Amino acid sequence: MEGVRLTVALIVAVVLQWTLRNVFEPFAYIDFPLIIVVFAALQRNSIRAIVFGTLSGIAVDALSGGLLGANGFSKTLIAYLVSEMARRVYLDNLLLRIPVIAGACLLDDLVYYGLHWLLGQPPVGDALVTMSYSLIGTTIVGTLVYLILQNLSGPRPKQRRREMFSSRRQTRRRNPIRLNR
Amino acid sequence: MAERSQKDVWRMTPWLVIALLLFNFVLMAFDAREISSGQRVIRAWTQTAADFVQSPVTTITSSISNYFISISSLRSAQDENSLLAQRVRELEVQLQQKQDLAAENSRLLSLLDLKERGRYKVLTARIIGRDPSVWFDSSIVNRGSLDGVTLNMPVVTEGGVVGRVSAVSPLTSQVDLLTRKGSGIGAVVGQIGESGALGVVAGTGDKELLEMKYVSGNIDVQVGQEIFTTGQDDIYPAGLKVGEIVEIVSGSATTPHKIRVRPAAGLNAMQEVGILLYSPPERLEYERTLPNAVRPKN
Repeated sequence: MEGVRLTVALIVAVVLQWTLRNVFEPFAYIDFPLIIVVFAALQRNSIRAIVFGTLSGIAVDALSGGLLGANGFSKTLIAYLVSEMARRVYLDNLLLRIPVIAGACLLDDLVYYGLHWLLGQPPVGDALVTMSYSLIGTTIVGTLVYLILQNLSGPRPKQRRREMFSSRRQTRRRNPIRLNR
Repeated sequence: MAERSQKDVWRMTPWLVIALLLFNFVLMAFDAREISSGQRVIRAWTQTAADFVQSPVTTITSSISNYFISISSLRSAQDENSLLAQRVRELEVQLQQKQDLAAENSRLLSLLDLKERGRYKVLTARIIGRDPSVWFDSSIVNRGSLDGVTLNMPVVTEGGVVGRVSAVSPLTSQVDLLTRKGSGIGAVVGQIGESGALGVVAGTGDKELLEMKYVSGNIDVQVGQEIFTTGQDDIYPAGLKVGEIVEIVSGSATTPHKIRVRPAAGLNAMQEVGILLYSPPERLEYERTLPNAVRPKN
């Protein structure tokens, strides 16, 4: 069920990415598919996240003036790195997810820009300015989207933490004052 | 059992990642090699699918914005009306003069036994989508191969050249702007025949600025002069306005001028464009193999 929800979320994200720039130019700075790909990676389902990354990336590239496959490459890489990180580190807290989405956005932009530069198709505009705006826009919207998705899907974080990390044996602490006595 | 399957998934993941990264990289390399001439099946079908979403969204948003714009513009409508009536009268006179000149021109051409050139239809298209990636500035228009659009057809507005068609699907087309880095147009300062300042107008990546290269440093050019297409690039017909010179770094006998050009078309606020259903004249074999060859006399 969670898979269906995330797939629907990804389709909506791609459609928003296709259409919103024509409505209002600054929406271009928000990477909606990346937000969903990182969210899927944070659910520790690495295969789903990676496939999401490739498909959403190519869907965006197909309508873009950039190279076909550049977004697919960067998002697949991000999905893998985030899912590997989420497997090792507890990242179910919303506050911990904010730096993750920010870092993912920055890395995605760097990889995308680097690939175009490498293949002799440098993108337009000032890279630093574009990356900064993209970082701000995607992080803010990503945080809001995660807040919504967290409430909509899956078990609560505490329950998931219990599933992920085995609970420690609880021992009763002895009162040192009583021991002395 | 469940534990083992999860481990299998984790073991399989790096291989899947490598396969997908490789697939994307091959796709990119292939696209980079033939970016100006190739037609991608993935692009064509995704654009067709996207049209079913983009067209309704654009229709709704543009009708809402047009409603508010029409309310705000009602105030100045009466003044504008009288000004436009005056302008129409002036244009009617100019049109009459142009018709006389066109008739004279065709008579002279027939006298010289020259074939008719530069005739093309203009297909009006609406911009239904902008580049989903913030790094590029292409646009999607609602005309495709079913309307007769093919790759590399020129796209214009009432101001001047906008760019060329870079991908075509049955219902939509993708337009690359002339400001894109790596784009180039054969151009001349002033009208053809009036000036020998031939060069190439190239995109700088800046939406407000183009650069004209290879104009000989010996030729006199001025800020404010207009730049037109020459028709020698096999994409754009001759005589389309490209822009206006805003800055010149003068060259010398051995170095060319560095000319900055402001695009004539308002690239930031385009709603509708015209696609020129133009195919360049067929080049003869000797012209294709040796571009600067002198035509052999029979």
